[in-house]
Order: sequence, then structure tokens, then C-alpha cells
Amino acid sequence: MRGLLVLSVLLGAVLGKEDFSGHQVLRLSTDDAAQVEKVKELEDLEHLQLDFWRGPAQPGSPIDVRVPFRSIQAVKIFLEAHGIGYTTMIEDVQALLDEEQEQMFAFQARARSSDTFNYATYHTLEEIYGFMDMLVAEHPQLVSKLQIGNSYEGRPIYVLKFSTGGENRPAIWIDTGIHSREWVTQASGVWFAKKITQDYGQDSTLTAILDSMDILLEIVTNPDGFVFTYSKNRMWRKTRSRTAGSSCVGVDPNRNWDAGFGMAGASSNPCSETYHGKFANSEVEVKSIVDFVRNHGNIKAFISIHSYSQLLLYPYGYKAEAAPDRDELDQLAKSAVKALASLYGTKFKYGSIIKAIYQASGSTIDWTYSQGIKYSFTFELRDTGRYGFLLPASQIVPTAQETWLALRTIMEHTLQHPY
Amino acid sequence: MLPRRQRPPASGPWGPRPAVLLLAPLLLALQGVAAAPAGAGGPEDSPGLQDAEFPSGLLQQAARAALHFFNFRAGSPSALRVLAAVLEGRATVNPKKGCQVDLVFTTDHYNPEVGEEHLGKCSARVFFRNQKPRPAINVTCTRLIEKNKRQEEDYLLYKHMKQLKTPLDVISIPDSHGHIDPSLRPIWDLAFLGSSYVMWEKTTQFLHYYMAQISSVNQWKTSDDAIDFDYTVLLHEFSTQEIIPCRIHLVWYPGKPLKVNYHCQELQTPEEASGTEEGSAVAPTELNNF
Repeated sequence: MRGLLVLSVLLGAVLGKEDFSGHQVLRLSTDDAAQVEKVKELEDLEHLQLDFWRGPAQPGSPIDVRVPFRSIQAVKIFLEAHGIGYTTMIEDVQALLDEEQEQMFAFQARARSSDTFNYATYHTLEEIYGFMDMLVAEHPQLVSKLQIGNSYEGRPIYVLKFSTGGENRPAIWIDTGIHSREWVTQASGVWFAKKITQDYGQDSTLTAILDSMDILLEIVTNPDGFVFTYSKNRMWRKTRSRTAGSSCVGVDPNRNWDAGFGMAGASSNPCSETYHGKFANSEVEVKSIVDFVRNHGNIKAFISIHSYSQLLLYPYGYKAEAAPDRDELDQLAKSAVKALASLYGTKFKYGSIIKAIYQASGSTIDWTYSQGIKYSFTFELRDTGRYGFLLPASQIVPTAQETWLALRTIMEHTLQHPY
Repeated sequence: MLPRRQRPPASGPWGPRPAVLLLAPLLLALQGVAAAPAGAGGPEDSPGLQDAEFPSGLLQQAARAALHFFNFRAGSPSALRVLAAVLEGRATVNPKKGCQVDLVFTTDHYNPEVGEEHLGKCSARVFFRNQKPRPAINVTCTRLIEKNKRQEEDYLLYKHMKQLKTPLDVISIPDSHGHIDPSLRPIWDLAFLGSSYVMWEKTTQFLHYYMAQISSVNQWKTSDDAIDFDYTVLLHEFSTQEIIPCRIHLVWYPGKPLKVNYHCQELQTPEEASGTEEGSAVAPTELNNF
């Protein structure tokens, strides 16, 4: 179909700029030879200016025809009068062409390197995945791309691994975009990836970290949800899994982990934004990380990034009891938010999930903490409600820059306090 | 992006530490203040709540409600305020009736473009009726924009709005990338003013709201003197994380009280959550404060 459209464009170009506004492409279905003959009659009516992409042949074979706007009514009346069924394959040919043109230009405008990539704008999944490949190609000694699974709708789930060598070194995990509408997080993840490649060998802290540890960065943790925020609903939060027995879609991936699963702090209603799913790790997006973390066995810090509210959180979310390492985590959080604020004065509050924000069960870092990953943190980035999820693109880089300072603080502490 | 310089807070993870607190017997009654209402089962016995750490969640809730009410009552899209910090607060609980919060908080300009640091200060008494929305509010604020200046700004906004071409050629404000065209900024401010009324009425001890997006402008009439604005807004609800579409109809004239009429989509329908893209909020039929 696309090929045929491109052909039309070329023909249009050859024949002089043609406008296909309002033109429709109909697919006709004929039941018998008589109907096929009728369509051939139609073909002979030159004044209709019909353009058969797939001409009449045998009964039962679909016939595709582009119908100019002014002929549409006449053609449809004709088809209906003769009992010839049809479906509208393309509602407006020009609209589709325009869209394709745009995509082609976008492709041409796509960054050739991670240096020309625009970090101050929001990107699509394709663009982010393309960015990852560029980064790996530019820094093959430092960066590699791991596929840890496939999303519910079959999209690959990638993790960037930053490593200067060694065998299964202790690692720091960072994920962004687990809730797809929190766009500043994926955008920040892209910025972090670039930042790491820039700072290795330049910034002594980051260099020291990477000389002994690996950094694992999952930028688009919920690719199906992310695509959905572009195609249909900018406010989509959950995965896009289908729930048997419900017409509602999706599970909250931050209520689906095996820590206090299903307890107060999540919903059992599939239509709810905090639906925990039928069972822990039901979501492949979550299970992929669980399996990865278990297999790796040497992750020492786990940081999951959300927006918005400007908070730095540590376990627990599902219960009010203080985590055994509460004092150390609290101190570290305090240092991290101080580092963050040093850049633009952005104020973050900090504390355990249940105290600082609300009770939440089955959340990511409650599980990672239960696995022995002591430095488990969740960020809620800018802002505090003025723009919320729709944070202006102009704030992406400042947000990423200040957040990086907090991440660096946590990573450095992890490096200096092996366990 | 201009840095938002704020006064450095007193220490403490909650920002400025509340100076006046009423604890112990009230804390048990306050259990569950952090619980997600959507969760199954009631709040369990939580040893954490016997901590000296007062769950400042309630103070924040009260401050937000008070500010929504204040903004609505002021009726001025050029003088909208946001919460800066809670300075002090105390709560008294009557398990049968509800919860009264007395508090002092500071405010900032809503519009970040305004350069000067202008921290207004407010004191408020907020009464949350048990589990019911529409808290009763008594609030006074100081150090506001000078009255004349405010009226001038409102009138400028009004004139600007009158000049906008109707019908408005917009789909959503902001767009997916958070961008608001400067010429449409007054619409956002006016919409926020109307939404303040709605958000005040919907706030409870446990639920609070932010205006996420204007998802459609249904009607924008300026033929008479007043601005007649019919729109659908998406409210982001904490702690359920739901996106609630609300159809709001407001009538505004500078200096006059704002008239608001609204209807929010309450039912969790079998269709997709996260706000429906078709904007299926029903047209308002009930009179709210007309």
C-alpha cells in the first residue's frame, strides 16, 4: 500500500503537482462475474477519473480504486445500486501523503550523531531507540545494548550497559519511563546516557564509579504505554496488557512487584490507574527486570525514576514500618537533594514512600530492597503540579542536569560503601 | 528557565518544620491519612504514626484546599497563587464530624514569568467533613498584588481575551510537549481559575488535584461584556492517579465574582481509564454557583 502511494506521489510529481485532497481509496468486493462486468463499465467512464490500483479480475478478488472527491458520491450510488460491497481503505489520500512526507522529512532531519541529537525536545520511541544505537556505535568500548525481553505488544525492551570491563561487576541500575505519561523521565534518561559517555574520563567521580562498577540504564521501561501516549492518549500511565474479563486495559507497573502485592495501596479494579494486575510480575515489562536483576545478582543500587512531585523516596511504600537501613538512606537522600538543589534551587522533599507521598503496595523499590539491594530509591522529578506531566520541553535539560547531580551522589556513595 | 530561588527552609525532610503541632490522641484518628483510598481494606495499625513525625500530608491538603478556594473567590486570573510552604499548623479531630486544620502558609505567583519573589502569606482554617469533599474554608492572605495593579492586569487580560479570534482554533492546552502559545496563556489562566472552584469542591482529607490539561474548548463567547467559557479540563487526582475529565462552564468579568457550573466524569466506566480522548464529559446541567 505504501509503495503504491509513493508511486502516486512520483506520478503526481511527474504530472505536475496534483492535489489528492478528499480522494478516497475504495476496496470493492464482487460476488459474481456480472458484478465484475459492472465495475468494468465504471472503469470506462472517463469523466469519473477513476484510478484503479488493483483492477477488476475474478469475482472474489478485491478491486482497489482511487476515486477523486467529486466522483465519490456517484461511484458509491452506482456500487450500492448494483449490490457491490465496498470498504473505504483510505479516507483522504492527501492527508496520508502529507503524513508520509512529514515522516520522510523527519527521517532526513534525524540526528546523525548523538552530538547533533536534540536533548531539549521530546522524542518518539523510534527516535530514542535510534539514539541508543548511535550511542553504542559511537562508544563501542563503553556502551552496549542488552535486550531484556519484549513488551506485551511485542516491542523489544532495551537496557544500555555502561562498562569499562570486568566480569559481572557490581552495578547501578537506573530506569525511566515505567509510567509512560511521565515524559520528562524518558527524556532525562536519554540525557543521562549521553552524559555518562561525556563524563567518563572527564569527571573524576563518574570515572571512579565506572572503573569499578557498571551502570545499567533502561530508558523506555514501558514501550507500549509510551507509544500509546503518542498515538492515542497522552495521559496513559499503565502497560497495555489486556485483562481477561474486563474491557479495561493495562496494569500499573509500579504496583505489580512482589512486595506487599495486592495489599492496601493498590487497586484490584482493572479500570483503575493503580490496578496491580492479577498476580505479581504478571506484566512482562516487570518480569523482564525481575529476571534480569536475579540473574545479574550483583546490583548494588536501584533507582527508578518517575514524575512529578519533586521527591526522593526510599522504602517502604506498602507499610509504615521503618526500613532497617532507614537512617543511612535518609542521610543519603538528604545529601542527594542538596546536590540537586545546588544547580537551580529546585526543592525536593525526601522520605519513605508511605510517609512522603502515600501508601503504595507492590512498588518497584520495595521489591528491590527485599532482594538485598540496599540503595533503592525512587525519584519524582519536576514539577509540583503547575504543568505536571506536560512539563515544557524547555525544562528537560535543566531537570536532567539537576537530577544527575543527585544520581551521582547516590552512585558515589554506593561505590564508597560496598556491601 | 529561570531558577526559582526560594528561602532556604528550616531543616527537616518536610521542608519548614511546622512550629505548632497537636499530636498523640489526634494521630490515631488521623490514621490512614496517607492511604490510597482505592486500596482494599482499611489502614492497619501503623506503628509509624506514633512517631513524633507528624504526617504533614494533612497540612498540605488543607493548604491546597484553602488556596483553591482563595483563588476562586478572588476571581482574578492575573493574581493566581500557588503554595510555597506550610509554616505552621495544627489539627483537631472530631471522629464523628471531621477534622479542623488551622494553618499558616506562604504563596507564590502562579505565573512563573513574574520575576519578583512575592511571597504572600495566608492563614486559614479548613474543616474537612469526614470523607466528604467541599471542605469549609476561612482564609485570609496578606502581601498581595496591590488592588489597583491587579484590576489593571485583569482588565488587560480581559481585553486580550476579547480580541482572540472565535471560534478558537485549539485542541488542547498545553500540547503534548507542555507548550502553551503565549497568546493562549490567558485562556489557561482563566481555565485554572474555573478549575480552582472545582478542585476546591472535590478536595477531601485524602484526595487532591492538579489541573493537567485543557482537553477541549467547547465554546468561547465574548459577544456580551463578559467572557463566557465552556471547556473540558483534565484533573489529575492524587493519590489514585486518575485523570478526571470535567466539563466547566464559567462566566467572567473583571472585578465581578466568577460564576462556575461544572460536571466531572465520576463513574469508572468500562472504557479506558486515563481520561478518554473523545472528551466524553457530559454538558453541565446542575447549577453550581450561578
